[in-house]
Amino acid sequence: MTDATTPVTPRSKKSVSLTSPDARTQKRKAAEARFRMYGIAGIATGIFCLIVLLTSILASGTGAFQQTFISVQVYLDPAKLDKKGNRDPADIAKVSTFGYTPLIQQAVFDAVQQAGIETPLTRSKDMKALISASAAAQVRDVVIADPTLIGETIGFRILASSRVDGYLKDRVMREDVARDKNIDAEHLDLVDALVPLGIVEKTFNMDFITGADASESRAEAAGIGVAMMGSFFMMLVVLVLSLPIGVAASIYLEEFAPKNRWTDLIEVNIANLAAVPSIVFGILGLAVFIQFMHLPQSAPLVGGLVLTLMTLPTIIISTRASLKAVPPSIRDAALGVGASKMQAVFHHVLPLAAPGILTGTIIGLAQALGETAPLLLIGMVGFIASNAPDGIASGLLDPNSAMPAQIYEWAKRADPAFYERAWGGIIILLVFLISMNTLAVILRRRFERRW
Amino acid sequence: MNDMRILERAVDTNEVKIAAKGVQVYYGDTHAIKDVNVDIQDRTVTAFIGPSGCGKSTFLRCINRMNDTIDIARVEGDIRIDGEDIYDKRVDPVQLRAKVGMVFQKPNPFPKSIYDNVSYGPRIHGLAKNKAELDDIVEQSLRSAALWDEVKDRLNAPGTGLSGGQQQRLCIARAVATEPEVLLMDEPCSALDPIATAQVEELIDELRQNYSVVIVTHSMQQAARVSQRTAFFHLGNLVEYGETGQIFTNPEDPRTESYITGRIG
Repeated sequence: MTDATTPVTPRSKKSVSLTSPDARTQKRKAAEARFRMYGIAGIATGIFCLIVLLTSILASGTGAFQQTFISVQVYLDPAKLDKKGNRDPADIAKVSTFGYTPLIQQAVFDAVQQAGIETPLTRSKDMKALISASAAAQVRDVVIADPTLIGETIGFRILASSRVDGYLKDRVMREDVARDKNIDAEHLDLVDALVPLGIVEKTFNMDFITGADASESRAEAAGIGVAMMGSFFMMLVVLVLSLPIGVAASIYLEEFAPKNRWTDLIEVNIANLAAVPSIVFGILGLAVFIQFMHLPQSAPLVGGLVLTLMTLPTIIISTRASLKAVPPSIRDAALGVGASKMQAVFHHVLPLAAPGILTGTIIGLAQALGETAPLLLIGMVGFIASNAPDGIASGLLDPNSAMPAQIYEWAKRADPAFYERAWGGIIILLVFLISMNTLAVILRRRFERRW
Repeated sequence: MNDMRILERAVDTNEVKIAAKGVQVYYGDTHAIKDVNVDIQDRTVTAFIGPSGCGKSTFLRCINRMNDTIDIARVEGDIRIDGEDIYDKRVDPVQLRAKVGMVFQKPNPFPKSIYDNVSYGPRIHGLAKNKAELDDIVEQSLRSAALWDEVKDRLNAPGTGLSGGQQQRLCIARAVATEPEVLLMDEPCSALDPIATAQVEELIDELRQNYSVVIVTHSMQQAARVSQRTAFFHLGNLVEYGETGQIFTNPEDPRTESYITGRIG
């Protein structure tokens, strides 16, 4: 109260008009406007980069979802396919794809002749450059499945070679063809003539989404489907292991554990684990799961275990944060009516924390889904997964790849056709990630404290 | 303050419900409660008054062992309810808290329906054999909290959607539903407006018929209005304890007088 005794005297008599801001105010306003501009510029840069990224991904990757096919009538010559003439499946199976290749080449050649296209390619063997190496296997599979077809003429929709496919997608240019030993300008002329007739056509390629990877020389046949199954089984392992372990650990640490030096140490270590480079988890998985426990290499089970280790800190941290966010008054209320600590947690705290836990788990899963580095070390990269798993056990234990590993695998192959597929794979991966994140947002909105 | 009314109020000579002897509470190194001895009577409203940080809430939370949930809190001394030491190793705090209900400063209904809020306690203690019994308990509890008429048509509406005063009465109903013998109230009206406060105070007076009510309050008027006995805490000490009328009209200790006349606090 001593202040009141000293009389208040204004230091300067100068009165300032409120309508004309003084220099100080103007400076302050300018600083504020500047700061706002920085923010807008930052956001604009971010959005610009995002648009560039998305357009480049879409521009490079959409091609992978389309594929060029050749529709031809193949005469399944009994003289070549069933030399003994007894239609014995065992004998038919002995005919390798080399036996089928000439038939398909002949069929394409016949189609060209029938259409009356003038071309300097006068032998049926010249058609080889148009046809995918996997076409013979496709025809062979049909014949082995039904030997009675031998002797008939059957319509097939066979894959065109990746050069033809690239030509129709503007990936292979005429000026480059001169140096390409796989295809000549004459072939491209022929393709140009066949496209209006509908014999060669570019259509949506479901096989890219459902199919298996193919060898280096058959880019046109490669698909991401099997790798997708590998990722799916890994995520299954991650979800089944990391959610209960993570939630149980967080509940214990947050609600039950005494606060002492040990729990502090554990806390710090969990936070540090979240920052450990994922390749470290990979080498740990290699040492522990494969070399010590002798689990199979390249198996999604091992991949899932490694990714579980990686995801656990994320889940624990987000779960603890959402448990912490539940107001203590709820715990008091439950304890006050005589609930045990566990009842208070499971009846009241956990349901309120559930949206946060779910969001954290989904974000952790999305992170694990896109993780490549640890898979390098446990042999899920570089492996060509050619068979789709036929059950849960084989899905978990049979060698497989994963989506990001498959993308990496394609990106390092020489043929630009694989490069296009790598971008296509990234589109699929992003679709998965975006839908998982959307699901997280929806769950959060849906279950957030409703009243 | 209506002093005359206080003097006229009859004080029943009841038996002792809660007996505390030499209670010391430490929060880490802080000595929060210093050697408190107090006998709290049955079917009586006992008010704890005192300035902020004087330990009245801490002492209240000793009575149902809510301090157990605070890691650094340590309680020494002897608190007996009906002659039983509640800090005995064999005592389960969960059972104790069913017997000693608590209402908190801020209304804290569960984010569930009104029905679920009230039925939660009876359900976890297995007080009802079937749905009809549970319905009965809920109705009775809400009636004794003077809330039934306001909410009987919307028992499935969320408890958090009620007004502040209604929420606090819901919390009282929730505490009453487990059939406690003692009801602890930690500043139950501090978050309420005067009208809601009046309703809750009226309710407290009715609850006295069946329970021993201990109420912590910052408002001396409130203590004077609702309680029969008052304890004045200061700096962790129980300075004075006696009949409310006497504390407010003729305090023995100079500190009590200073506080109730507004010179300290």
